[in-house]
Amino acid sequence: MSKLDNIPVRHQPTEAAGRKRTNPLAHVFDELVKFCQSRSMFMLHYCTGCGAIELPPAMTSRFDMERLGIQPMVTPRQADILLITGYVSIKTLKRIILTYEQMQSPKYVIGICSCTVNGGMYWQSYATAKVLKDYLPVDVYIAGCMPRPEAVISGMRELMSDIKSGRAQNWKRYYENYDHYLGNQQKLFGEDWQTPTDIIAEARHYGLMTDRTLGEHTALLEKHQRPLEALEMRLSAREKQKT
Amino acid sequence: MTPLDQLLLLSALTVVVPLFTGNRRITGPLATLLYTGQGLLLLRMAGLGYGSETPVSSAVSLQVLGLELHWRFDALSWFFALITIGAGLLSSWFASGEWAQRYRDSGSSLRLFHAALALNVFTMLVLLASGELLSLFIGWELVSWASFLMMSLGSNTALRYAMRYVTYAFAGAMAVLMGLVLVYTRTGSFEFQAFRDAVPSMDADTVWLLFGLFAAGFGVKMALLPFHLWQAKAYAETPGPGAAFLGAISSRMGLFAMIVVLVQIIGVARLVELPVPFTFLSGRDLLAWVAVFTIIFPTFTALRQHDARRLLAWHGIGQGGYMLLGILIADDLGSAGGLMHVFNHATYQAVLFMSVTAVIHRTGTSDLNKLGGLVARMPLSFLAMLIGIIGLAGLPPMNGFVSKWLVYRALILEGSPLLFLGAVIGTLGTILSVYKLIHNTFLGQLRLEHVDIEEAPSSMLWPMMILSTVVFVTGYFPGLVLDWIASVQAAVGLPVLAHHLGGVHIDKGGLDMIWVVSVLLAGFGVGALVFLSGNRSKRVHQLDNYAGGHFLTADTRYQYSDNFYPGLMHLIGPWYRKSFRWLEGGFVSTVDTVSQLMQGLYRHTHPAFYLLAVVVFALSWVMGGD
Amino acid sequence: MNLSELLIELLLMPLVAFVIGLGMVLMMRKIAARLGRRIGPPLLQPIYDIIKLYGKRTQISHGLIHEIGIIMAVGGYVAAETLLPVPGMNGLADKGGVITLAYVMMIPSLGMALGVGQCANPNGSIGISRALTAMLAYDIPFILVIFGAAYVYGTTNLADIIAIQQQQGVSGWGLMQMPLLALAGMLALPAVMGKQPFEIYIAPAEIATGPMVEMSGKFMGGLFVMQCFQLYTAGVLYTTLFLGGGAYWITFLPKIYAVVAIPMAAAMLFPRYRTEDVIRLMWKWPVLVGLMGLAVAMK
Repeated sequence: MSKLDNIPVRHQPTEAAGRKRTNPLAHVFDELVKFCQSRSMFMLHYCTGCGAIELPPAMTSRFDMERLGIQPMVTPRQADILLITGYVSIKTLKRIILTYEQMQSPKYVIGICSCTVNGGMYWQSYATAKVLKDYLPVDVYIAGCMPRPEAVISGMRELMSDIKSGRAQNWKRYYENYDHYLGNQQKLFGEDWQTPTDIIAEARHYGLMTDRTLGEHTALLEKHQRPLEALEMRLSAREKQKT
Repeated sequence: MTPLDQLLLLSALTVVVPLFTGNRRITGPLATLLYTGQGLLLLRMAGLGYGSETPVSSAVSLQVLGLELHWRFDALSWFFALITIGAGLLSSWFASGEWAQRYRDSGSSLRLFHAALALNVFTMLVLLASGELLSLFIGWELVSWASFLMMSLGSNTALRYAMRYVTYAFAGAMAVLMGLVLVYTRTGSFEFQAFRDAVPSMDADTVWLLFGLFAAGFGVKMALLPFHLWQAKAYAETPGPGAAFLGAISSRMGLFAMIVVLVQIIGVARLVELPVPFTFLSGRDLLAWVAVFTIIFPTFTALRQHDARRLLAWHGIGQGGYMLLGILIADDLGSAGGLMHVFNHATYQAVLFMSVTAVIHRTGTSDLNKLGGLVARMPLSFLAMLIGIIGLAGLPPMNGFVSKWLVYRALILEGSPLLFLGAVIGTLGTILSVYKLIHNTFLGQLRLEHVDIEEAPSSMLWPMMILSTVVFVTGYFPGLVLDWIASVQAAVGLPVLAHHLGGVHIDKGGLDMIWVVSVLLAGFGVGALVFLSGNRSKRVHQLDNYAGGHFLTADTRYQYSDNFYPGLMHLIGPWYRKSFRWLEGGFVSTVDTVSQLMQGLYRHTHPAFYLLAVVVFALSWVMGGD
Repeated sequence: MNLSELLIELLLMPLVAFVIGLGMVLMMRKIAARLGRRIGPPLLQPIYDIIKLYGKRTQISHGLIHEIGIIMAVGGYVAAETLLPVPGMNGLADKGGVITLAYVMMIPSLGMALGVGQCANPNGSIGISRALTAMLAYDIPFILVIFGAAYVYGTTNLADIIAIQQQQGVSGWGLMQMPLLALAGMLALPAVMGKQPFEIYIAPAEIATGPMVEMSGKFMGGLFVMQCFQLYTAGVLYTTLFLGGGAYWITFLPKIYAVVAIPMAAAMLFPRYRTEDVIRLMWKWPVLVGLMGLAVAMK
C-alpha cells in the first residue's frame, strides 16, 4: 500500500475513437440504450472466495436485486458484470481473464472484498494476485471483509449511475491499453500466456485500437500465438493452394 | 412404335451401353444422357400426368402358353416412372464425376455399377408398364433381382443383407404367385379387368386370403413390418449414388404393386368390409396399423443409429408407412397425401443420401461420432442436407410437410385419433433423429483432420442443388405435383382431389402453401431486420468458447455426439433391449439360417437362370392349377 | 377483405403478439418473484433487457448458421402469429389451420437448434438434445388435444373454431364441451412453454443455460423476443381451442394472461424434472386424460 498506484481511483474516461454520431436522434437513442444498460445488468459471479456467501441474500427475498434489473447469469457471453468475490489466486486469475475476455462489451468488473483491492489478508501469500486492476480494468470496488449485501447493492447502484451518466467506460481501457494489461499478465503467467479470445482483432473490428493497444508485449504474444481466426465458410481449399 | 416402346427400348439401351463403354470416364455422362433421353420420352406421354389421355399401350405383346402378356402406361405408371427416371438421372449424374474416379480407383467396377443402375430403372419401368397380373409378376421378379444386383455391389454387410432380402423376396414372390394362382383359378384370366369383375362375387375368406398374400408379398419390398429387417443395412451399404436411387424409389415398387392390386382391383371399400375376427378392426384397419407401426418402430430405430447412411435408410422404411397409411384412408385427401409422399420422399431422400455420400467422399466416413463442423467447409452440401431434413421431418416450407398434412387432415376428417397419434409420433421421432444427423455431421466442432477438406465436386453439387430446388418448389407450389396426383387418383379409381396451385381448399380448414411459405419467408425477413438492428457481429474461432473457464485446445474434442438423446434412450432403450431385440434377434437368426441355405444353393447360379426357372415354374403351376 | 387490409393485419399481428408477450414475460417473472416473497422486476424490465442486449457493442458470432438460426427463431414465430386469429384480425387463419400452426411453431425451435449447433459448444448441444426430447414428450398430449378439438369442431380453421364457440356463449366453450381435453392441454402447457419445472434443457448450474450458452448480445436478444412470442402463442392457442377465443380484446386479454398465469403459478412450486421423468410424466397423465377426453368427445 506504499505506492499510490495501488489505491484505486475512478478513471476519468478519455473520449475514445468510437463512432461519430451525426444524427440528432442518435443522441436520444444512445441515452436510451445507456439507460437500459443501467437498468438491466446480468451478472456473472466468479465466486473465488468468502464474499460469495453475501450474494444469495442480495438476490433473494431479503434484498431482491431483481428489483433493480440485476439478474444472475451463468455464462460470460450473456453477462454484463463480472463479480469477483474474494482473493484471486494466480491459477484463478487465468480463468478470470479468460472469462472477462469472453464477455461482451460494454462489460463491467466489480471487485468485492478487500482481497481484490490489495490482497487483503492474503497480502503475504505467494500464490495470490494482489491488485486486480493491474490485470483487468475494474469499475467498482466494494471493500470490506466481507461487505454486507447492503454494501453490495450500494456498489451496484453506484455502477448503475456510472453507466447511466456514461462514466463507466473502463471496458474500453482494456482494448485501448491492451499492451499494458497483457504485460502484467505475462509477468505473472509467463511469456507463452495466451487466451482463446483475440482481443487485438476484436479491437480492430470495433474500432477501439489506439497506439497503446499494440506494443512489446503483444509482439511477444504474436510470436507464439496459435492462430485464432474464425473458420471461414468456403467452397474450395484456398489455404492449401496458397502454401 | 408407341412412345412406351421407345422408352423401354431406350431404357434397355441404357443397360447395354455401360457394358460396352466399361470403366471409361465417358460411361457416367453417357448414361446420364441416356436417362435424359428417357425423361424426354416420358414427357411425350405427359398427357397421362394431366389426366387427358387414355393409357399408352405397348405394341409388343407376348403369347406365352396361350396367355397374353401386354404392357401399357397409365397415370399411375407415369407418375412412378417419372420419379424412377428422375432418380436414375440424378443418381447417374452424381456418379459420373469425381465419385466415379474414386470408385474406379478403389478397384470397383464402374461398368457393373452403371449397368446395375440402368437395369434397375429398366426393370422398374417394365414393372410399372405391366398390363396384367402375369406381366406384373414378371416385372416384380425382375425388379427384385435388379435391386439385389445393386445391393450386392456394396460391402460384405450389404451382401449379407441383400441375401436376406433374397430370402424375403423369394417368400414374397411365392406369396404373390399363390395369389396369382388363386386369381387364375377363380377367373381363368390374368387380366386386371377380369379380376376386378370377379372380386364382388368372391366370399370373404377368398378376399382375405388374396389380401394377405398380396399384402405380404408386396410388403416385403416395401419393408413393411415385420419384413423390414433386411432393408436398412442393405441400402445403406450400397455404393452412394446407388443408395440414393434405391432409397428414393426402389422400395416404392412394393407400394405401386399394392396400389394396383389392393386399391385399383380389390378396392379399399372391400377391405373395409373384411372383419378381423374377435376385434373391431377391418382388414384395412389391420393394414393401416401395420403402416403406423412401420412408421414408428423404424423411425425410433433410426434414432439409435450412429451411421448416417443407416439412419437415413431406416427413415426410408418409416416414411413408407405414411404412404401406405395415406392410400389406405382412400378418400381424396389421404390418398393424395400418400401418393404425393412417394414423390416427396424420393426427392428429399435422394438429396440426403447424396449429401451424406458427398461427406463420405470428402472425409471417408459416415460415422456420426467422427464428423462435425463441416458446414464451414461444405456449405452447399449442408444446405442440401438442411433442405432434405426439413422435408424428411415434414416441416414447412418443404414438400414433405404438404403430403403429411394431407394425411393428417384426412385422419382428422375420418376420426382416427390413434392412427393420427402414431403418425405424429413418427414425425416427432424423425425431427429428433434428423437434427442429430445434421448436428453431428455439419454442426459443432470441426475436427483437426477435416480442416483442409473442400466442398464436394460440382458433379455432386448439381444433382443435390436441383433436387433441393425441387423439394422447396414443390413445397411452395404443391399444386404442381397435385396435378399428377389427381390424374393418378382418377386412373386408380380413387376420389379425385380438388386442388389449386397452393394446396387444397376445404371449407373446414384447407391449406394454401403459397401464403404459408410466403409469410414464413416474410417472417424470416422481419427476423433478419430485427437481427441487423444490433451492432455488427464478429466471427470468432470455434475454440473461443465457454468451457467453464477451461482453456480449450484443438486436440481436445469439444463436441457432443455419442448417445445424443440419453434421456429418451434411458426410457425407451430397455424396450429395445428386452422385447424388440429379442424378437428381432430370433427373427434375424431364423432368416440368417435360411439365407445361408439360399446362398449355398444359388452361389454358383446366375440370377437370370434362377429367374427363368421361377417364371417357368410359375407358368407350369398356373397351367396345373387350370 | 381486400389485400391491403390483410397486409396491415399481417404486420400488426406479430407486433401485437410481441407487446402482449412482453407483458407475459413480465408476469411470469413477477409470479416467480412473488412466490419467492420478492418484489420482482419493474414494469418495463423485459424491454430494458431486450434493448440492452441489442445495444451491446461487441457481439460474437460462431458463423453464418449461428446468425441464420436466430433469424429463423424470431422469423418463424413472426410467421406463426399470422396464423393465429385474435379479436378483429383473422390473418391467414383460413390458409393454414391448426395443424399448420403446430408445425410452423417447430420452425423457430429448429432454427434455434441449428444456431446452437453451430456454436460448437457441447453444453448447447446437450440442451438441444433435452429440448427436443421434451418436445417429443409434450407434443404427444398436445397433438391429441389438437386432434380432439379439430374433430369435435369439425374444422381445423381456428377462425371457425372461435366462431362456433362464440355462437353458443360460455356453454359452447371447449372447456365446457370437452373438459377432459382441456385439462390435458392445461397439464401439457407448462412443458409447451418450456418453463419450470420442465426447464431441464436450460439447467443453468449444470449445462450453463444449455442452448443459450454461447448466445450474447443480439443473439440472446433474439431468444428473449422469441420467448415473448412463445408464451403468447401458447396462451392464445389454448384460449382459441378451449376458452372461446375472444370477440373483444377486453375479454380476450384476461383469458390469455390467465392461461399463462395458472400453470405458471402452479408449476413454479415444483422442483425440476429430469428429461426421462418429463417423458414419463407427459406420456402418462396428460395422454391418459387426453385419451379419455377423446373417447368421451368422439362418442
